Amino acid sequence: MENNTQKTASNLSEAVDIGFLDLSKAEFYVTPGGFTGLKYGGEVYQRIVLRRALPVASAMEYISVADHENREIGMFRCVDSLNAGQREIVVAELEKRYYCPFVYQVKSVKDKLGYVYFELSIGRDGRRYDKTCTVKDVSKNIRMLGDDRLIIFDVDGNRYMVESLAELDKKSLSRLGPYLF
Amino acid sequence: MTTHTFEYDLDLNMQPANGTLSFDETGQIISSAGNEILAQVSAGDVAEMSVIAGVGCGLLCVKMNGGGERLLCRFTMSAMKAAGEFCKKVNYYTKTGEFVQPDSKEKLVCEKCGRPITEGMTICLFCYNKISVLKRALGLMKPFTKKIVAAELFLTVLSVIYLLVPLISRYLIDDYLRPMKGTFAQIAVLAGAMLLARVAGEIIFILSSRVFNKSSIDYANLLRNAAFDKIQRLSMNSLSKRTSGDLIKRVMEDTATIKEFLSDGGRWAAEQMIMFAVVIVILAVTNIKMTLLVFLSVPAVMFGLSRFWKFIHLRYERQWRKNSKCQSILHDIIKGIRTVKSFGKEEIEIQKFSKATRELAQVSSDNEKLWAKLFPLMTFFTGIGEFLVLYFGGKDIIGGSLSFGVLVQFTMYITYVYAPLRWLVSFPRWLAEAMTSMVKVFEILDEEPDITSVAEPKNIPVSGSVTFEGVSFGYKSYEPVLKDINLDIKPGEMIGIVGRSGSGKSTLMNLMMRLYDPSLGRICINGTDIREMSPAHLHENIGVVFQDTFLFAGTFYDNIAYAKPGATAQEVIAAAKAANAHDFIMQTADGYNTLIGENGYSLSGGERQRLSIARAIIKNPDILILDEATSSLDVETESVIQESLSRLVKGRTTIAIAHRLSTLRSADRLFVLDEGRLAESGTHMELLKRKGIYYRLVMAQRQTSKIAE
Repeated sequence: MENNTQKTASNLSEAVDIGFLDLSKAEFYVTPGGFTGLKYGGEVYQRIVLRRALPVASAMEYISVADHENREIGMFRCVDSLNAGQREIVVAELEKRYYCPFVYQVKSVKDKLGYVYFELSIGRDGRRYDKTCTVKDVSKNIRMLGDDRLIIFDVDGNRYMVESLAELDKKSLSRLGPYLF
Repeated sequence: MTTHTFEYDLDLNMQPANGTLSFDETGQIISSAGNEILAQVSAGDVAEMSVIAGVGCGLLCVKMNGGGERLLCRFTMSAMKAAGEFCKKVNYYTKTGEFVQPDSKEKLVCEKCGRPITEGMTICLFCYNKISVLKRALGLMKPFTKKIVAAELFLTVLSVIYLLVPLISRYLIDDYLRPMKGTFAQIAVLAGAMLLARVAGEIIFILSSRVFNKSSIDYANLLRNAAFDKIQRLSMNSLSKRTSGDLIKRVMEDTATIKEFLSDGGRWAAEQMIMFAVVIVILAVTNIKMTLLVFLSVPAVMFGLSRFWKFIHLRYERQWRKNSKCQSILHDIIKGIRTVKSFGKEEIEIQKFSKATRELAQVSSDNEKLWAKLFPLMTFFTGIGEFLVLYFGGKDIIGGSLSFGVLVQFTMYITYVYAPLRWLVSFPRWLAEAMTSMVKVFEILDEEPDITSVAEPKNIPVSGSVTFEGVSFGYKSYEPVLKDINLDIKPGEMIGIVGRSGSGKSTLMNLMMRLYDPSLGRICINGTDIREMSPAHLHENIGVVFQDTFLFAGTFYDNIAYAKPGATAQEVIAAAKAANAHDFIMQTADGYNTLIGENGYSLSGGERQRLSIARAIIKNPDILILDEATSSLDVETESVIQESLSRLVKGRTTIAIAHRLSTLRSADRLFVLDEGRLAESGTHMELLKRKGIYYRLVMAQRQTSKIAE
């Protein structure tokens, strides 16, 4: 039975072409307009879109590369399989497409008329700043990702990530506590 | 000089920034931060400006006339809507050369606290004065003022009667029982007076309850109907921002919460406060020292209770959410039981549900344990005044400075003091819940519909030509779905709309039916903009068959006659016959009176579709819109329906979205949409010869048919 399952799985991979790029023939570059482009297979794509297939579970694996009209050109398995220069360009582009600052501190929480108002200390790349955000429908917009990670969506669609609840200070955790489900 | 501005909040390296993008009448687009100019382009060199949405952010990009693209600025989602609006102004200028004057925008940010104002609201909920919410809710009770005043008078009388009982007890004890004097008749009179007071109190309580309940039920009914009425009048744009569950909750549950608050909370508040005030006066007049003893522990107890309630409220909120999660999982599993069983995932679903119920059990158990520890303590400290009164009162009785009757009177009045205090502590939570419900209901009542009727609508005959002039539209301002659509449909033409999924076909139909208004351009019927017609007149003369049919719970007759409430039986039967629905209806035991259940669950796809067609044609519409009306049907069923449709479309302007060749071939002309733009138009043969997008779609379909063989 197991062999049959394995056989079926591998047949599926063979039957379906995921469209992995041959990274040895791919060259990512920064365009004069400030976008990320790609030269691949004789084609030049002036502006590409990099999309994470598993942004929550595995942010640096299974990256889709699409053209400016969101038509997929191909995928690659892992950012680490790129050389240093290419990796820098790709990571920079991913960081620009996926904006989700980290929450370092929960300074205050006010619950008014069905909306929850957070004063947070957030940041990215070592910089910190204060931000007020409004959250509606907390059961939907404050979500646990696994046992220790939390994501908050505000009314505008901005995202804020608590990378590790265990590493938050006690006061911040107690303020967040009633909203952890 | 007039300038459009857009404030962006990220720099190009995704760090927080305060930048401004401006666009002035000279056509210059300038990005600046403070006094530093970061980028500058001339609108004359720009082919198109667009918003590119990321995940949690976006950017503004310009496509230059000479080719190439340029990144202007980046921003968080907070600025996304404003970015879309800015884009529209620039693109209008690049297309027409006309500079649109800035209009008075609705406030996006509260001037007081700086927090964003929630979409669809005009006020900041953070700064919203709770008293004004309550005032507004009470203001709506004006039609019931007389009844409420009467009920309050009853309550006042009731309070006086209840407060008489301890007084009578005191006289009975001090003047008759303790000195052991007086006749049995005199004692009987006092005892009788106490009994009478209690009976009268109960009668008045029943009367006041009836009046309060009736008023609050009528009030809830008023709110419910007002909310439902408003929902019916809101546009699709407003409705699509909320789920159907949310709207149902507001109409039913939130109005019920308000009703309970006013009928129970409001009534008890009035009664308790009246009693409290009167009791304090009586106690103070009777014995000031004992009165102070009663109130000695009150400040500390009130403070403790308020902290307790805040704490326990959050824990119960958490329990409620765990419960909600369990229900959600259960709902999903039961609704999708067929899928669960088909994939053999019963064990996994059992484990998932078990985990959720275990978490709920744990939280509930923790809450109950806490409650069991805290509640007796709370009750003890709330009533500690009683023990102080008994102790010091007892001493005074022994010392001869206080009568036994007065002590009994005091201990009876204490319950009238502590009961409202205990109740008062939970009142803020009750009030907060009621006000949240009030705000949610008022949110619906205050929302202005996007689709409005002009003061003097031109309700011209709807039969005739249909034109789209420079129409652009997006459900989100920053993501246009249709771009610059220009098309012209002659009267009586049968038009096919074709394109890949997501190309904007259904959106075109939604605009045609004025479920949404275009962001740019206009749609005309017989040369008149449809925005100048009343929506009711337009909908009366357009028949529509959607791909996903929705049938109401009711009979076949009800569903067909839905489009024309005054339709005769003959008209209903004629419509059913024209739609090839008559035969299967007549095969049921109850014919047209057969109940078809919620959303026609007992019918096949083809039967539902045919009912939907009958509903569309019963009002003999001038324009017929078929939105993939046969896409989910097998070829044989489709041919039956095509036959009925072919009868319907004769001489009627018909616009059909379709994928099947059989539908497309019969169209007078076809419009091909590609990524929101009109890519091709012509007859079936003309488009095939062109070998463009349509040709590829047809070839792909033919290839699929060959594989199926």
